Amino acid sequence: MVSIDLLAQTVSNGVLLGGIYALAALGLSLIFGIMDVVNLAHGHLLMLGGYVAIVLFTMAGLSPLVGMLAAMLVLFVIGIVLQRALLERVVDEGIEQPILVLFGVALVFQNLGQHFLGSDAQSTELTLGIGGIDLGPVLLSPSRTVTFVVAVLLVVLTWLFLEYTSTGHAIRATSQNRAAARYVGIDTDRIYMLTMGVGAALAGAAGSLLSMLFPIDPYVGWSYLLKSFAVVVLGGVGSIIGTLVGGVILGTAENVTALFLGGSYRDVMTFTIFLLVLLLKPEGLFGTGGGGE
Amino acid sequence: MRTERFTLGVPSSKRTVAASLVVLAAMLVVPFVTTPYYTGLAMTALVFLMLGVSWNLLAGYAGQISLGHAAFFGLGAYVAAWLTTPAAAGLPAIPFPLSHPIVALVLGGVGAALVALVTGPVMFRLRGHYFAIGTLALAAIIRLVLTDKRSISGGSTGYYLNAGMGEIPTYLLTVVVAALATVGVYLVVNSRLGLGMRAIHDDETAASGLGVDPLRYKMYAFLISAFIAGLAGAAYALNSLYINPTSTLAVTWTVDTLVIVILGGMGTVAGPLFGTVVFMVIDNGLTSVLGGLATTVEGVIIILVVIFLPDGIYGSLKSYVAGRNESDDAATSG
Repeated sequence: MVSIDLLAQTVSNGVLLGGIYALAALGLSLIFGIMDVVNLAHGHLLMLGGYVAIVLFTMAGLSPLVGMLAAMLVLFVIGIVLQRALLERVVDEGIEQPILVLFGVALVFQNLGQHFLGSDAQSTELTLGIGGIDLGPVLLSPSRTVTFVVAVLLVVLTWLFLEYTSTGHAIRATSQNRAAARYVGIDTDRIYMLTMGVGAALAGAAGSLLSMLFPIDPYVGWSYLLKSFAVVVLGGVGSIIGTLVGGVILGTAENVTALFLGGSYRDVMTFTIFLLVLLLKPEGLFGTGGGGE
Repeated sequence: MRTERFTLGVPSSKRTVAASLVVLAAMLVVPFVTTPYYTGLAMTALVFLMLGVSWNLLAGYAGQISLGHAAFFGLGAYVAAWLTTPAAAGLPAIPFPLSHPIVALVLGGVGAALVALVTGPVMFRLRGHYFAIGTLALAAIIRLVLTDKRSISGGSTGYYLNAGMGEIPTYLLTVVVAALATVGVYLVVNSRLGLGMRAIHDDETAASGLGVDPLRYKMYAFLISAFIAGLAGAAYALNSLYINPTSTLAVTWTVDTLVIVILGGMGTVAGPLFGTVVFMVIDNGLTSVLGGLATTVEGVIIILVVIFLPDGIYGSLKSYVAGRNESDDAATSG
């Protein structure tokens, strides 16, 4: 029998992990909401972000928090290049072409990672010189707490950007009605580029944060893609609160499953939740769009 | 990925039939006139051809992009393994007709189709992107569960088959099955059934308004597609005599299948044939030249072909030839 203390610890770890899942999912949700493209390479962008932090950490000894900023910058550029070089040619051409192109991009990233960075899992370590937060039965470890806070902070910053800046308004206008956005003078091509850049940067940030908790290898892309997508579906496309709640639910469900059924069922749980939500409540907990459309 | 590419009616000119028979005869004599190495290559090509034909029916004709085809392939492989070599999974002895490799191969396809039958109505509640990701998730669940259930899958140690049919009979059987699958799909897409599939691909709402039940046609495509993918997996297992969850259920099978069909041309019967030949040349050439970076080049090929040759090699060739004939006609008549 599992003790209550262990369960409480598992749940709190899951909640903290959920913050990072929310961050990863936000990038995917943004791209999906605005460009109507599921970024099949999202998990692989996350993996690249993790590796930027890992390389800076192992080669230069940089703190993964600094590495995260670098990863966001690198991934922002990669996102823009992807949009300019490839997606621009296939977005709005039906769903098959973007799916297949992004599938190809994911393969390229995975294979390049495997070739140049090796197949071994690597990670970073956060040294802060502070202890964890002791809440009686539950101890919040410093790395889990810091990654959670940073992730939620980035989610909130993204929300503020979308809500209160003129560029943010232009992005939201484009997501609501592309043609109308053009009529009022919004350069929607530029908005698409920016969206891909920001979406990729958020994935990169999530990857760097995850590298502080779990080892990253070149094959984690598909798994994190499905996790991010599960969160998007759970919370509802386009809902920031939904994304946060979805992330926390998924992180918790995964950890509790791992506790009771063993670590190999962690991902089985994620994918099962994902399929169940799509089938039972396709609009998500907080969203308006959904799997039926 | 648009309608114009589809050619209605049956262009079964005598030339096409003759060419197909020559190819079939050539495939049948491969083990008798070449080395085992080339027979092995031909065997791999046949497995890929079946996968291509299978995915093409579902994605190219019915318009449902499955990213989980490896699941049906792997299930076919495991059903064949369980039937021919039950002891390795701790199963009781399987009586004769069921344990025969030929029956096991067919049942491999049936097993995969059964899984499609059960999961199809659920998966087809998802559309477009959601269906693609849903199939990816479904395949991941099946792979993770089988990897975990070591007693029936052999886990990472793998599963040794004792099918005892010999290399050449297995090869010949695969040639026949692949030919039947190709012809079968050809007949399906040129029938009323195929028309329904194309109709829901082009415009699901319009098709259902005209009385075409989308779910029914998607399910037909899904079942046939899974059946053929299962056959391919079973043939692979009977030939290699060793399988494990990674070697049969990994996403690479899905990737290679996509490359083949996209290269050749989605939604054309000849597409997977062209694609398989080109893929075999590229794959063997690339691996020997590039080693570990072969997948990168495959990814780049997918991207470039989708963007610049959306009709694939066969589709583009066909429209090029058609275009030339048209301009010739214009020149002579003008």
